[in-house]
Amino acid sequence: MEKILTKKSFPLWVKELVSYKIYAPQKNGDLWNFETIKKPESINLDFPNTVLPPKNIIFPQREVLLEFESSNENKLQVKETLPDDDPTIIFGVRPCDAKALTLTDKVFSGDFKDPYYWKRRNSTVLIGLACNIPPSPNCFCLSVGGSPHSKEGLDILMTDLGDKYFVESLSEKGSTLINLAKPLFQQPKAADKKAVEKTQAEAEKKITRQIKDIKKIPSILKNMFDSPLWDEESLSCLRCGICTYLCPTCHCFDINDEVASSSPVKGKRVRTWDTCQFPDFTMHSSGHNPRPDRASRLRQRIFHKFQYFVERYQNYLCTGCGRCISKCPVGIDIIEVLDKVRDYGS
Amino acid sequence: MDHNAYVPKLAKIIEIKEEVGGARPIKTFRAQFQNKNDFSFSCGQCAMLSVFGKGESIFAISSSPLIKDYLQFNILKMGRVTSSLHEMQVGDTIGIRGPYGNGFPLEEWKGKNLIFIGGGIGLAPIWSVLNTALGKKEEYGDLTLIYGARTSKDLVFREELEEIKKKIAVHLSIDVEESDWNEFVGFVPQNVTDKKPSPKNAITVTCGPPIMIKFVIKALEDLGFEDEQIYTTVENKMKCGIGKCGRCNIGSHYVCKDGPVYSWAELKKLPQEY
Repeated sequence: MEKILTKKSFPLWVKELVSYKIYAPQKNGDLWNFETIKKPESINLDFPNTVLPPKNIIFPQREVLLEFESSNENKLQVKETLPDDDPTIIFGVRPCDAKALTLTDKVFSGDFKDPYYWKRRNSTVLIGLACNIPPSPNCFCLSVGGSPHSKEGLDILMTDLGDKYFVESLSEKGSTLINLAKPLFQQPKAADKKAVEKTQAEAEKKITRQIKDIKKIPSILKNMFDSPLWDEESLSCLRCGICTYLCPTCHCFDINDEVASSSPVKGKRVRTWDTCQFPDFTMHSSGHNPRPDRASRLRQRIFHKFQYFVERYQNYLCTGCGRCISKCPVGIDIIEVLDKVRDYGS
Repeated sequence: MDHNAYVPKLAKIIEIKEEVGGARPIKTFRAQFQNKNDFSFSCGQCAMLSVFGKGESIFAISSSPLIKDYLQFNILKMGRVTSSLHEMQVGDTIGIRGPYGNGFPLEEWKGKNLIFIGGGIGLAPIWSVLNTALGKKEEYGDLTLIYGARTSKDLVFREELEEIKKKIAVHLSIDVEESDWNEFVGFVPQNVTDKKPSPKNAITVTCGPPIMIKFVIKALEDLGFEDEQIYTTVENKMKCGIGKCGRCNIGSHYVCKDGPVYSWAELKKLPQEY
């Protein structure tokens, strides 16, 4: 379904969606992030990209998996704490971040479906906003199978056409939202479709950064496990973990018990984001560490994204959002690292 | 919604046995599920144990799947969870989730001679598969156990070993001479070289410290064993046990799902990251 929605009508549409919990990018100081919206008119879709991807709405940085409590008779009770499945809408999802969720979907599926992830995922509608201008100078979605107007993973894609949005419904969930405010939407004219095509073609041209010959990378990496490159490229790493924290595809986590009382025992089992860039991540209780240095940890990040995940799921675990490049405090640039990998292979 | 894999089933500790004392103590725990036991596992698989308030750790199940009324674990006191387990008493409640991992392809080994080679606490996963093979002895060829530890006090299952000696060939070793020790003195790989097990129609299973495994494999190769005849188990730090938390990987393999059992032929192809 393709529709036109004027920018004037946009808040009226949002008003019709009040039964949903709504997230949209909000500016706080200089930083944009997804926050819950109370007033429809406060949604401003004129934003670069959010600092954090919307990943944390589906897979929160901290979530309680279960609660345990021992009563006085020493009888222990365990209660699973699944999240609410309140119908939720996220406005303004960038195509790279939507595609990222299709990748984490693979991780949280399989033999052991993750009920926490899927409860939120299934109750959330993703409304994307095409990138007419790359939100970051480090965008490289075109290199990893995405595009500034990719529909992958989205329920609706909106393209800004000046005073109106071109709105494409991509799923039943999406159509339901449009149908809630049918009279606000108009049929697109031939000129609108042409304008969208033109905008999209121009948007692609504006993306300057790329990973050349990316298809060769997975097989080159296979022979580079023991390369000195990992030492050289990781020398400046501060092991702050920001590259993985901000990454829309990074999904590694830790599980720990938080204790309110130790006798009788009462507490929560909590899942939190974790990162392969921390030394503790892989350290055995004996002190032995299979990835004991920065080199092996940078190698893990690159291999996981461009070799292991490709082998397991036939996708790169990267959608080219460029956050890890823009926010690395010491300028480790995944594109430059992969350039060197490619040079190694030629 | 499918079963929530993160929620453990509650179990009671029904038996605790002190196997090894000293600075690196090992205890054997037997635990029974509070409710109906639908925990079905195969030899070599692992279980995630919970001490509520302390956290979770993953362990090899050392009892045989032929035993239905309890699960057995051999636990070396090391970190937070294992230290708490060592303080627990019979009747205390723990959580168990699993089973996780691939297990030994015991079905494929029917008719073959099985040689088990263990060091220290590495006897735990071997114990499950050894006892299962013993329980169906007629289906396998000769069974042999080569097992060693630092000192005679560090050997686990000492009483049970005496029993098993009546049924199969058992070759024990300790690293340094002791006055009343009549068996081999030296490291486990040296004992393997000394006993010269035949590779003919044989499968070996070796579990123990990584350095021991490395030299056992070398000793076996020198005796003419092919890579496909050598099996071992790998361990890495784990949190979820279900291939999601991202830390136990060796290359694209998750040890918790794709391991912990590997043939040397398979393990050789993976990066040395364990």
